[in-house]
Amino acid sequence: MSVYLLNIGVFICIYGILALTLNVLIGYAGVFTLAHAAFFGIGAYVATFVAMNFSASLVIVLIASVLTAGILSLIIALPALRVRDEYFVVISLAIQILCVTVFSEWRSFTGGLGGIVNIPLPELFFGTISTPMEFFLLALGCMAVITVIIGLIVRGSFGRSLMAVRDNESAALALGKNVARIKTLAAALSSGLAAVAGVVYAYYLSFINVQSFTLDTSVLVMAMVIIGGTGTMFGPIVGAALLTMLPNALSYVPFLPPTEIGSIQQILYGLAMILMMIFRPGGIVGRSRSKRDEK
Amino acid sequence: MVLLQLLVNGIQTGTIYALTAIGFALIFGSTRIFHFAHGAIFVIAAYVFKFVIGDLSLHWGIASIAAVSAAVLAGLLVNFLIYVPIQRHEGSYFTVFVASFGVVIVVQNAIAMIFGRGFVAIETSLSNAVEVFSGLFMAPLFGIVIACSAIVLTGLHLILTRTHFGIALRALSQNPELVRTFGLSTRRLSAYAFVLGSALVVPAAIFTGATSGLNPSIGLHIMLISLVATIAGGIGSIWGAACIALAIGVAENLVLWQLDTQWSEAVAFAFLLVFLIFRPAGLFRLASTH
Repeated sequence: MSVYLLNIGVFICIYGILALTLNVLIGYAGVFTLAHAAFFGIGAYVATFVAMNFSASLVIVLIASVLTAGILSLIIALPALRVRDEYFVVISLAIQILCVTVFSEWRSFTGGLGGIVNIPLPELFFGTISTPMEFFLLALGCMAVITVIIGLIVRGSFGRSLMAVRDNESAALALGKNVARIKTLAAALSSGLAAVAGVVYAYYLSFINVQSFTLDTSVLVMAMVIIGGTGTMFGPIVGAALLTMLPNALSYVPFLPPTEIGSIQQILYGLAMILMMIFRPGGIVGRSRSKRDEK
Repeated sequence: MVLLQLLVNGIQTGTIYALTAIGFALIFGSTRIFHFAHGAIFVIAAYVFKFVIGDLSLHWGIASIAAVSAAVLAGLLVNFLIYVPIQRHEGSYFTVFVASFGVVIVVQNAIAMIFGRGFVAIETSLSNAVEVFSGLFMAPLFGIVIACSAIVLTGLHLILTRTHFGIALRALSQNPELVRTFGLSTRRLSAYAFVLGSALVVPAAIFTGATSGLNPSIGLHIMLISLVATIAGGIGSIWGAACIALAIGVAENLVLWQLDTQWSEAVAFAFLLVFLIFRPAGLFRLASTH
């Protein structure tokens, strides 16, 4: 039983990291992206590659994954973020689809649809991490560190610039803010830290394939951020916890055929997204009238 | 000869894409609502047609009427139950987009639960290809797709240029304030845009069902094409969207000459990614500045 709970706990932390980092873009920078799962995937694949070929040391793997995802997002975001917001959604959608195709076709690196198995256990200074409890602490630790990093950044001058760009781009531009650079840095920060979730995910399952990094995952994480509350510090974690526990909770509901739980779960969060936008666009944690209203 | 065959297939796919893209371009252009749920309307229309003609085995005319009614009804419901309440308190494109995306998720999964997740096709003898030329296969459906699209596009063009309603719709896309000043109801005009745009999706939905088959998540793919076409074609330009959609269909098929099918979608998008980055104002603006 405790293993079951710890397993849910690890997934809440992994999705929590993804939601927290996506919130930097959606909530604070006002940039809407559907490519978050692609960077989650890049993190996981780079982690796997480094762990299997060079070193299973957690620190080295983390550095490699975060840097790769961050730099790749810079290359993509630099030109793409200069277009208007509506266009960026489409570009991010295209990036997500391109990445999924690469993940499933570049077999020598990603293992294709079959994926990669037997990823070694992570090594930290004092030994390997192997029990569910240790993994839970690792995931929790990563999430805590990322929460602190994002919290500090958002409260600092860069965060204020971000929110200025979100609330009124023309005004920020008039005040001499380099809007394109601010958005690009936010994208690199968000994607780089999303790779941490990929690292924990790959180590924890010791198996990855393209199925975990599709558009569905991007949408799920988006729903977590929105239901929890965009632009709030802890909203994404609340959203991640709720949506991660939902399928487990549904499995206790009698009369539900187990094969349909996936669909029912998606219908529920789809409905939640619609109702939230009509009645409470700020999310659960956000104020009932969102900041966007005051614009 | 392979290339010619791919070109023919591409034109057929592209025409079907164009029909869907036009509906979205019309709605987005005139109301500025990021109607992502257009893909959901497509899926509803396709499955209603399939259900009436396949499971109830009624005449295709009745099935078409059922599909049009379902699409129009769904479009209006989404507009009145979701977009209107949201726009009452805030109009940000972000909020509308999220709610619209929610509709796509709900419809996709509801259809999957009712009709199953697998591919289904609308059975018809019209899709049996015959060799018209050495090595070139064409089905009667190809001619029907082209003819039907031509009729629909001409009809739409006449509506938009020759009727008061069409002119009012175009005015709405240019200046909603002025439309209100002239005493027209923008809310009613938006509703009409949803009726027309949703009805336009039906022929595309039926043809997709008859040519490449349907699955519940096809709405997302169709929507992606429509979005890219609308934006790359220049927002507000219905014909720009149609051209780009046709181009995507052709490109998707032509790459099969050198690459595997898995890449066709990706290659089309890679082209468009570059297009969007270098010509963000879209094809239409590009043409008018020259």
